[in-house]
Amino acid sequence: MAAPPVPELLRAHLTELAKNDERLDGRGRFEGREVQIETGVLPRAEGSARVVMGDTIVLAGVKFQIMTPYPDRPTSGGFMTSAEVRPVSGVHWEAGPPSPAAIELGRVVDRGIRESGCLDMSDLCILPGEKAWQVILDVFALSDDGNLFDAFATAAMAALRTAIIPGERFDVGEDRPLPVSKKPMMCSYHRVGGRFVYDAVRREEIGGAERIHITLGDDDHVHSLQKGLKGAFTADEFAEIMDHARQRCAELRNMIE
Amino acid sequence: MGGYGDVQMIDDNGIRVDGRTAGDIRPVEIRAGVIPVADGSAEVIWGTNHVIAAVYGPMEAHPRKIQKQDRAVLDVRYNMAPFSTTDRMRPGFNRRSREISKVTAEALETVVLTELYPRSKIRVEIEVLTAEAGTRCAGITAASVALADAGIPMTDMVISVASGKINGIVVCDLNKEEDNYGEADLPMGICANSGDLVFLQMDGDLSPEEFQQAWDYNMESIGPVHELMIEALEKANGGES
Repeated sequence: MAAPPVPELLRAHLTELAKNDERLDGRGRFEGREVQIETGVLPRAEGSARVVMGDTIVLAGVKFQIMTPYPDRPTSGGFMTSAEVRPVSGVHWEAGPPSPAAIELGRVVDRGIRESGCLDMSDLCILPGEKAWQVILDVFALSDDGNLFDAFATAAMAALRTAIIPGERFDVGEDRPLPVSKKPMMCSYHRVGGRFVYDAVRREEIGGAERIHITLGDDDHVHSLQKGLKGAFTADEFAEIMDHARQRCAELRNMIE
Repeated sequence: MGGYGDVQMIDDNGIRVDGRTAGDIRPVEIRAGVIPVADGSAEVIWGTNHVIAAVYGPMEAHPRKIQKQDRAVLDVRYNMAPFSTTDRMRPGFNRRSREISKVTAEALETVVLTELYPRSKIRVEIEVLTAEAGTRCAGITAASVALADAGIPMTDMVISVASGKINGIVVCDLNKEEDNYGEADLPMGICANSGDLVFLQMDGDLSPEEFQQAWDYNMESIGPVHELMIEALEKANGGES
C-alpha cells in the first residue's frame, strides 16, 4: 500500500504544538506517562512482569534452559533476549518472522542488561564445560501506543529481579533466586516537532524523526546507546537528553524491587 | 492421548484432582476491551489458561489476491507465547498453531456477517499467555468476545469447551494434569443461541455412550459462559445492549 498522507498532516500538527512547547496529550517535553509495574503475572514463567505506560502494555517472561557452555568460556552460562511484537499489539505490526524493528528492540534491550554486568555468568555454571543455565528473556507487546523500548526494558528488569532458577525441576540442585546485581534502566527520546521529547506515544513516533535510547546502570554508568531512524542531532541536544536520563533512570530504578 | 490407566485421577466419590465433579468446568473469568489500541479485544482466564484476543478491522485486504469480491476474509492467528508453557515455546508458527488458526477462522466465519464487508479483511489475533490444556477452546471463546467488542455484526456467539475421558470416566473440561492421563478429547464450538456447532474435533477412544455423555457435558456447559461473555461486553461498553 502507498503511504497514507496522514503522517504529513500529523507532522504539521506536531510542529505547531511544539511552537508552544506542547504535546498531543498535554504532557511536558520530558514528562513520562505514569508507569505501573506488576510482577509474578505469568504462572508458567520463572520470573515475569507486566508494565503499563498509558495505552502501552507489555509483558516480560524469564525462562531457563540447560545449555552446554561455549568452548572458550567453559564456566559461563548464557543470556538471550527475544522481543516478540506480534500483530496482536497494533494494526501496524504485521504477522510473519520478526521485523527489523522488532529485532532492534530485542537487541537494544539485551545490550543494556548484558553490558551492565548485572547477570553473573559464572554463577550460572552448573558443571564446568558440561552444563550451565541459559537465561531466556522474552519481552512481548500486548498493546503498542509508543515507546516499547522503555516498556520492554522496565518489564525485563522487573522480571529478571524476581526470577527463580528452577534447579529442582531440572534435577540440578535447589531452586534459588537469580542474582541480578544492578538495575540498568532505559530512557528513550524522539524528535517530535523539531525537538526531543521523552516517552513518545505512537502518534508522536509516526509524526516524529530520529530517536535515541540510553541505558544507564547504577551510578549513572552508560551501558547502551542506540540512535534509530533518519536524522541528525547536536552534541548540545544529546547533553540535555543525558541530563534528563540520569534523573529519570534513577526514578525508574526506585520503582523496581 | 496419554492413557496411563493406573494413575487414580478421580476418587471413589467421583471427585477430580482439583475438587470438581465430572460435569464441572474450571472457574472462568472474561473481560472485554483489554487492549486499548485494538478495535476490539477480550481476555479469557479459564482455570490457569490465560488467553488474549484482539480484533483489527474491517480494513482493506492486501495483497489484493486475498480479497473476496462478496465478503470479508477473516485472518485468524492462534499463537502460544514463549513463556506460556513449562518448557519454553520457541517463537514462530508450527503445524499445530496453523491448524488451530484455520479451524478457528472457519468456526468464526460461520457466525460473522462477512458479506457486509466485501473485499475487506478482519484480523483476529489470539495469543495464549499461559497454557493449561484447552487453549484452543479458550481462544475461540475469547475471539468471539473480541469480535463483539469490535462491533462486528454476528448472528451468534461461539463458546468452545471440551470434554474427555480419564480412568474410563467421561469428564468435562480436562485440566493439564488430567489431560496428561486423558484417554479422549472432544472439543466443540457451540453457538450460544442456536445451539449449532461450528467447530468440532476429537481424538482418542470413546464408546457410543461415552461419546454421548461428552457431547452432553459440552452442551450443558455453554450457558453460564455465555452469561459471562455478555456481562464482560456490557461492562466494557457502558452497560447498554
